[in-house]
Amino acid sequence: MKKQKHKNALYLSDRQPLAFAGKIGVLMMYIILASWAAAIIWPLYQMIVSAFNGRQGSYLILNREFEFSWEHFEYLFEETLYLTWVKNTIFIAVTTAIVILLIVSFTGYAYSRYRFKGRRASLMAILLIQTIPTFAGIAAYYAMHTIISNIIPAFSRQMMLVLIYAGGGIASNTFILKGYIDSISTELDDAGRMDGCSSMKVYRLIIMPIARPMLAVIGLWSFIGPFMDYLLPRVLLTSPQTYTLAAGLFTLINDIRNTNQPAFAAGGLLTAVPIVIMFILLQNQLVSGLAKGSVKG
Amino acid sequence: MKVELKNIGKKYENRENFTLRGIDLTIEEKDFCVILGPSGCGKTTLLRMIAGLNSVTEGDLLFDGRRVNKVAAKDRDIAMVFQSYALYPHMTVYDNMAFSLSMRKERKKIINERVMEAAELLQITEYLHSKPSDISGGQRQRVALGRAIVRNPSVFLMDEPLSNLDAKLREHMRVELVRLHKKLGTTTIYVTHDQVEAMTMANRIVLMNDGKIQQTGAPDEFYEKPGNIFVAKFIGSPTMNMFDGCITDGNFVFDDGVVRIVPSEPLKKLLDPYEGKNVSVGIRAERFEKDSIHRNNIKCTIDVIEMLGKEKLLYCRLSNDKEIVISAPGYNRYEEGMEYTFGFDDSVVHYFNTETGERINK
Repeated sequence: MKKQKHKNALYLSDRQPLAFAGKIGVLMMYIILASWAAAIIWPLYQMIVSAFNGRQGSYLILNREFEFSWEHFEYLFEETLYLTWVKNTIFIAVTTAIVILLIVSFTGYAYSRYRFKGRRASLMAILLIQTIPTFAGIAAYYAMHTIISNIIPAFSRQMMLVLIYAGGGIASNTFILKGYIDSISTELDDAGRMDGCSSMKVYRLIIMPIARPMLAVIGLWSFIGPFMDYLLPRVLLTSPQTYTLAAGLFTLINDIRNTNQPAFAAGGLLTAVPIVIMFILLQNQLVSGLAKGSVKG
Repeated sequence: MKVELKNIGKKYENRENFTLRGIDLTIEEKDFCVILGPSGCGKTTLLRMIAGLNSVTEGDLLFDGRRVNKVAAKDRDIAMVFQSYALYPHMTVYDNMAFSLSMRKERKKIINERVMEAAELLQITEYLHSKPSDISGGQRQRVALGRAIVRNPSVFLMDEPLSNLDAKLREHMRVELVRLHKKLGTTTIYVTHDQVEAMTMANRIVLMNDGKIQQTGAPDEFYEKPGNIFVAKFIGSPTMNMFDGCITDGNFVFDDGVVRIVPSEPLKKLLDPYEGKNVSVGIRAERFEKDSIHRNNIKCTIDVIEMLGKEKLLYCRLSNDKEIVISAPGYNRYEEGMEYTFGFDDSVVHYFNTETGERINK
């Protein structure tokens, strides 16, 4: 009965029905995708399981024994500087995001709307500078930090990190935001100007609300960056008290004296929390198509 | 407000040539002035200069005798309706209309009054709290108008405001705009490339081409007495039939006598200086009469007949293969491939100097 129904069902797809070779192709595709997914999910699964597995010692061992426990989390909070690292990272991430958003707002808008000498050349330069890895400037960063902290003693290594992250982010994000603002009709600027706005107000009251989805994406990326980076904090930050999460957690697996791999897994798991919270907060802003209805009939 | 343009010119940065030059124009108070012209003729540039969105390179722009070349757009007491409407997508219709007043720090109560007044005038009260994306094209058009009206400006500037509407709605809005202009009496400068809009709405048309004003005047003047060949060809549909010939023995002769026009006595005097020189003659399609009693006639063979209902367009060929278009009442019978004789009155013939393009029989 069921088979009968299946046979009589209407063929609704707009594509031509698959031939035998096509079906094989689709099957192969699914096999590839499934193994790819497995390759990504398996380590994640192991990490989650180990984080909660009370049977794990200080080294991760893939065995079948499992006993639910919070002990690795307790270790993380009581025996390590985990909370300090979280605080440091969030401070760096939030400051970076704010600095990038502020500056990119100006540069993106200016590059999109104003014609000035060296506009094309500087845009090209921005693009080319992107090809040099950030880490290549490490010696310069030390020198810069020394100079600035001589003038402003409060300028810490963490602030230097913010400066590096923001500096790197501004270039590429200027490019992205300029592209987005280019797609907003300049007649909106004109209308705003006729309605009595200054250039600043045109941006703040008209362009910025329309570019909000893009600004949210830029903000989110800038926020995530410091969570992911290990190399720069490791090199620039000197004391465990100033470490970011990535640098701090790494001390749990690279030093024989305080190795605790399950705690590392637990810490990694918790790292996702601030990012997820940020994502949820920004989700409402990430709606695209906001410019719909302003122009065209 | 009276708007005067004195020898206005515009040159864009990084451009070699002037886009506009030597524009002299006076728009009287309460005029509905339409700036008409083909794409790229500089009409939008001119409007944007009046608006203050583009700078004036040379010349003087006067509002009621006051020079405003360097006055910012927001201080010129003008409002503009854009081709794309340019509504702020993140604000409701109400906020869109109130925006300019709130930028001027007007009191809430006054803003509310003005917005409601404009909304009632344009019949958009129902969707004052919708976003622009939720309303139709025609409604957006009204909101754009409303945004200009609430300011109660001295001059309205409109940049092809109807070009995004469908044909039916455009016809309707055309009448609405004229009605609105009658009611408010605000000086209006309206840019379009559509001659129908210009002819129906304006009490003054400014026709531009190649960055120059070709002719200014009332719509009927444009149709009856085009000042040069460009105007004659631009205004009117179908396009005016033009014959490039010369004056021989006081008569106009086109291509060895395929068309020979004997001008009337007063005209003969005007044409005297052109003896032996090239002259172009224009005759509108609807001015040809079948079986006429006129002394000037042409013979032609009908190629194609286009039936438009109230009229028929006859695409004909003269004996030298020159194509002409004749419009005849829809109830007359014609047959394709047959030869007919059409006559025309002296008064309907437009004479132009071929070299300069200027009209001869002024």
